[in-house]
Formats: sequence, structure tokens, C-alpha cells
Amino acid sequence: MRWYVVRRVLWAVVATFLILSVTWGLLAVTPNPAAEQMQFQAAASGGSAEAAEEAFEARRGLDRSPWVRYQEYMTNMVTLNWGWSQSRSQPVIEAIAAALPYTAIYSVPTTILSILLGLAIGLYSATNQYTKSDYAATFFAFFGYAIPNFWFGIILLLVFGVQLGWFPVVFDSDIPFFSLGMARQLVLPVVVLVTGTIAGVMRYSRAEALEYVEAEFVKTAKSKGADGYRILTRHILRPAAVPLMTILVGDILGIFLAASYLVEVVFGIPGLGQLSYNAILAQDTSLVLGTTLIFTFVSVVGNLVQDVAYTVLDPRIDYGDR
Amino acid sequence: MSAEPLLSIRDLRTVFHTDDGLVRAVDGVSFDIGRGETVCIVGESGSGKTVTGESITRLIRTPPGEIAAGEIVFDGQDLTALSDEALRALRGDRIAHVFQNPQGALNPVYTVGWQIVEAIRLHEDVSKGAARDRAVDLLDRVGIPEATRRFDDYPHEFSGGMKQRVSIAMALATNPDLLIADEPTTALDVTIQNQILSLLDDLQTEFDMSVLLITHDLGVVAEVADRVVVMYAGKVMERGGVFDVFEQPSHPYTRALLDCLPGRGDGAASIGGRLPSSTDPPAGCRFHPRCEHAVDACREGEQPPDYAVDGDDDHVVSCVHYEPGGDPSVVRGGGDDAGSGDAVDDDGGDGRGSGAVGTPPADRTLRAESLGDDGSDADREDRA
Repeated sequence: MRWYVVRRVLWAVVATFLILSVTWGLLAVTPNPAAEQMQFQAAASGGSAEAAEEAFEARRGLDRSPWVRYQEYMTNMVTLNWGWSQSRSQPVIEAIAAALPYTAIYSVPTTILSILLGLAIGLYSATNQYTKSDYAATFFAFFGYAIPNFWFGIILLLVFGVQLGWFPVVFDSDIPFFSLGMARQLVLPVVVLVTGTIAGVMRYSRAEALEYVEAEFVKTAKSKGADGYRILTRHILRPAAVPLMTILVGDILGIFLAASYLVEVVFGIPGLGQLSYNAILAQDTSLVLGTTLIFTFVSVVGNLVQDVAYTVLDPRIDYGDR
Repeated sequence: MSAEPLLSIRDLRTVFHTDDGLVRAVDGVSFDIGRGETVCIVGESGSGKTVTGESITRLIRTPPGEIAAGEIVFDGQDLTALSDEALRALRGDRIAHVFQNPQGALNPVYTVGWQIVEAIRLHEDVSKGAARDRAVDLLDRVGIPEATRRFDDYPHEFSGGMKQRVSIAMALATNPDLLIADEPTTALDVTIQNQILSLLDDLQTEFDMSVLLITHDLGVVAEVADRVVVMYAGKVMERGGVFDVFEQPSHPYTRALLDCLPGRGDGAASIGGRLPSSTDPPAGCRFHPRCEHAVDACREGEQPPDYAVDGDDDHVVSCVHYEPGGDPSVVRGGGDDAGSGDAVDDDGGDGRGSGAVGTPPADRTLRAESLGDDGSDADREDRA
């Protein structure tokens, strides 16, 4: 098992390496807007466009061989020297470090809430299949699933922020992190994200649990005299946790990373999503690259966690010779 | 039995509320299990055997299932009147189950030892160490080699037969009074079947328990049963001591089942037709659409009451031909009762002659015609 985990970790490193290399390759063949601007200016003022381009490349070190540039790029990546953000006039890594806590402060409660609530509602639905409360939970799940996050966020802001005035409309990043005021302004974004993610968790956990509600070993457990709670947690949830891992890690990561763009922009939270969004608008290549890579790394680590979790959760997975 | 039976089921009715209507899976079943006795329920798939077994400890899913009527008296207590809590305390403690499919009966994510220890500790306040020792003993007792080492193995590391042994060990963990074994050998191959059956037999003596064995295999019944309950479409067709039922099979359905046993002269026969619709069973005797001896009285009213066979109250049959003043020889054939006395040992069944319900090909058309006026779905499909 230790060998299996080591191999999984190595694979994660290889995957990261490949992602970085491909990204570099794409960047290397993409025309640089800054260089084009230089050429245009040079041509407009009567100078030579080629000379301007060469000067630009020499200044940026682009006249060196691709191999040298690639080596330098990889070294910088590993040493967290991710370049200079032109739009923010600060190192990329600093901009990311400043934005990360704001993403974490709403995504951590969102993840915990959607897993806990999603599992609880899903299991309840599975054990009370085709009852009124099951239908209500299903309706709630599909509502959350179908409604666009950003639109739902705007509506909530209008109703609870503008009309009722219960929650602040504009996110105030000066409020200390662990305070009531912060909690208050996080309510709406968390509600919006949870309604989106809870649906998936709830439907999947319902489906997986249903598979086991009827299982023979659940009948065995009942015939042994186990009570309902024990059957649910030990004999239904525990085996269902294996396939659920895929959903919990993959789905939640995917949904909340994608959703963070929309929700941060709508609610004005200065997190990674907004940083990335503004970087794209400003054509700030280094910053776009930096923020995108953060999301990529989170996915790689998420998948690694998932692979390792499988082996812990399911004794049938053979990790002996892989 | 002169003593009070351990389990006494009276007029048990278990129904399932389905989209297609009310399914009367068990419809007025009565039988007793004495202490230390082995009772077998036999019948085709879908005859209500399993539901009967699972109704005893209310293992059926409710809803859609519901025990609509009847009494299940276990050691003086009516289980149908018991609270869920009280019944749960009984499950696995005094009444244990072994199920058909050992592949599915064990939870794949726990070691077998964990699952046996769970069975012990659910009912007894013993330390983990003590429970572990007992579990190892049990594994050893049911014939798992190197029990101490295998304690920490997962179910997928055991073969089907070994898994069934583990299931049995788990069921015996609390020394139950009654073991309900629902087709415990059906999913296993033949050589293993015999091992498991003789294991059950040994354990029954050792643990001094009663066994309710549910099976469709009459060979198994002949081997282990003290008494037999023959079920068909939720009804008891015939019940009695194993010798009476095998030597004096009285209900046409029992006789048809016995004819299905292979290796008796002209090979195995099959029963023509199929089980009646579960939501809309035929009037009268449930078996009449497939019965050669059906007369008008069989086709109307309710399932006939239990009539004593040859004046023996322990051997009863639900067939109009046995009502007082009736003529059982219609079913038994040949006119004389003596001829039907040796159905098991008989090599050809000549004593029963045309009375046998098993299907000589020539009889097929005859039966199909006689079924024609009935017009139930099953019959139409049978003819098509």
C-alpha cells in the first residue's frame, strides 16, 4: 500500500510537470500582444517594426533558444518565481497569496456544508424513498442544480441585500477574517454555492445509498439486530463512501472552482476567481497563468487524495502490483 | 408435538403494496416448529417461502411490505405485537438468519472477524478481546482453516462456500434458539452444498436449536427435515412429517414436485404452466390451473381448508379431494391408497400411473385444453 501511494504521488508530480510543459509550449507559440503593440508603435512613428520586435525580444530574453527559455521557465515555476503582474504592479505570487484567503474563507464552509447537508439529505431520501420528504429533497436538489449560480446570487442580493437589507451588498475586505461581520457578508455567497453543489452530493449519495439499502449485507445487518442508525452509518454509508469519493472530490472541486469566478465577481469578493477574471480582462498573461495553475494544482492534489482515499476505504482495491 | 412448540405461526398474511396492486405473498400460512426440530418450507420460486421466513423477524421492507394479519408466537410471545425495539433485541440474539447468497450477505468493506464481533457485541456486553476469541472459535467451529489468521481477512478473500460458513458462524454467534436458513446452499456448487448441510446438521445438535430451512430442493428436505411445509402461491398446500409427505404425498402439487426430482426412472419431469399472477390469483385452489385433477369445486371460492390425511392431524392437505366424504384416490391414482405409499423409493411410479402430475408429453395437449377455459394470463403465455 505504501508503494501504491508513493507511485500515485510520483504520478501527480509527472502530471504537474506535463501540465507546466504544455502550458509553456502554448505560450511560446502564442503571439505576444505587448510585442505587437511595440511593433505597431514603431511602425506608426516611422521606425522599423522588425527592429522594435528584436529589441522587445532581447529585453524579454526571447532571443535565446527555446530550451534555455524552457529551463528558466521551469526553474521559476518550481521556485515560485511566477513573474510580474503588469495590471497589479506586484509579483504574481504575491497577488495570489493575497487573494487565496478570500477564496478559502467562503469555499471551506461551502465544501463542509455541502458534504454534510448533501450526505444527510441524500441518505434520508434513500431510506425514505418515494415519500413526500424524498420528493421535496429531490425538488430542492434539482432547483439548486438547474438555477444558474450567478443569477441566483444577483436575485439573493436584490432581495436580502437591497430590499430587506439583512446582508451587506458590497463585500468589505477590510473586515477582519474571523468576525461576525465577515460571517454575515459570507452568508449569501455560501448559500448560492451550497445550493449549487449540494444537489450533486445529495443526488449521488441518494443513488449510492439506494444501491446498498437493498443490499443483502444490509439485510444481514438487520437480521443481526443492528438498529437503523448503525445500519445507515456502518452498513450503508461506509461502503457507499467508496464511489462517493469520486463525486465528493471531483465534483466539488470542479463546481466550486468554476463557480468561484461567477460568485466572486457578483459578490465582489477579492479572491482567486476575481483576480483571474480581472487578469484576463487586462490581458495580464503572467497573472492569468499563475491563477490558472493554482486551480490546476488543486485538481491534481484533489485527484491524488481521491486515489489514496480509495485504497483506505475499499479493501477490495488491489494495490499490490501497481 | 406434545410440548409447546418454539414457534407457532397462525394464519400469517404478508402483503406488498405495489404499483400493480396488492401482492399477497403469504396468504394464510400456518405451521409450528418444535424445539430442536428442523422444518423445511418447500416450493417453487415466488411461492412465498422467503417472505414467510422474513416475516418472522419482520425483515421484509415496510413499506411496501406489511404483515396484514396472523400470529407469530415465539416462545410464548406474539412477535407481530412486539415493538420494533423489542423485536430488534430478538433478532440475531434468539432468532438468527442465514441467507441464500453468501457473496452478498457479507459487507465487503469490513473484515469477517469485525462482522462476527459486531453480531456478538450487539447483544452481549463483552469486551472486544473476549468477542474476538469467541469469533475465532466460531470460525474454527464452522470449518474455516487457520481461523485466527483468517479473522482479519475481508469477505472477498473467501470462496463462496467459505463465505457461507462465515455467515453461519455469524448467525450462531449468540447461540440462537431458532435459525432461519433461506436457501443456504442454492448459490453453492453441489459438493459444497452437502458440506454446508451436514455442517448445519451438526451445529443444530451442538447448539440445540430449531431450524427453519427454506429450500426448493426436495433432496435436501429428505435429508434434513423433521417436518415439511409445501407452499404454493402464498398458500400452504400440504404439511406433515417428512416421512408422511414423502411416502404419502397427498396434494397434487406435492406429487408434481416429487416428480421433478431427477434420477427416478424416467428422469426429471417438470410442472407445466407457471405460477399464477401474484396480484390477481385464481379463485379456489391456487394450483387448479396447473392441476390435472381439478374439478369444478377447485375453481370457485377460497383455497380449500386443511383436511387431515387418513385421519392424521399432523399431516394435512389443502385439496378438495380430501374433504370428509371425498375420494383421495382421484389424486393418488389407482383407486387403492396402498399404491401411493412409496413415492420416494418407487422407481417408475407405476403405482400412481396416470395419477402423477409430472408431464408425460401426451398429457400436454390434454392439460392445455383443460386450461383453455380458465383464460388467465399465465395460461395464455403457456400456450403461446
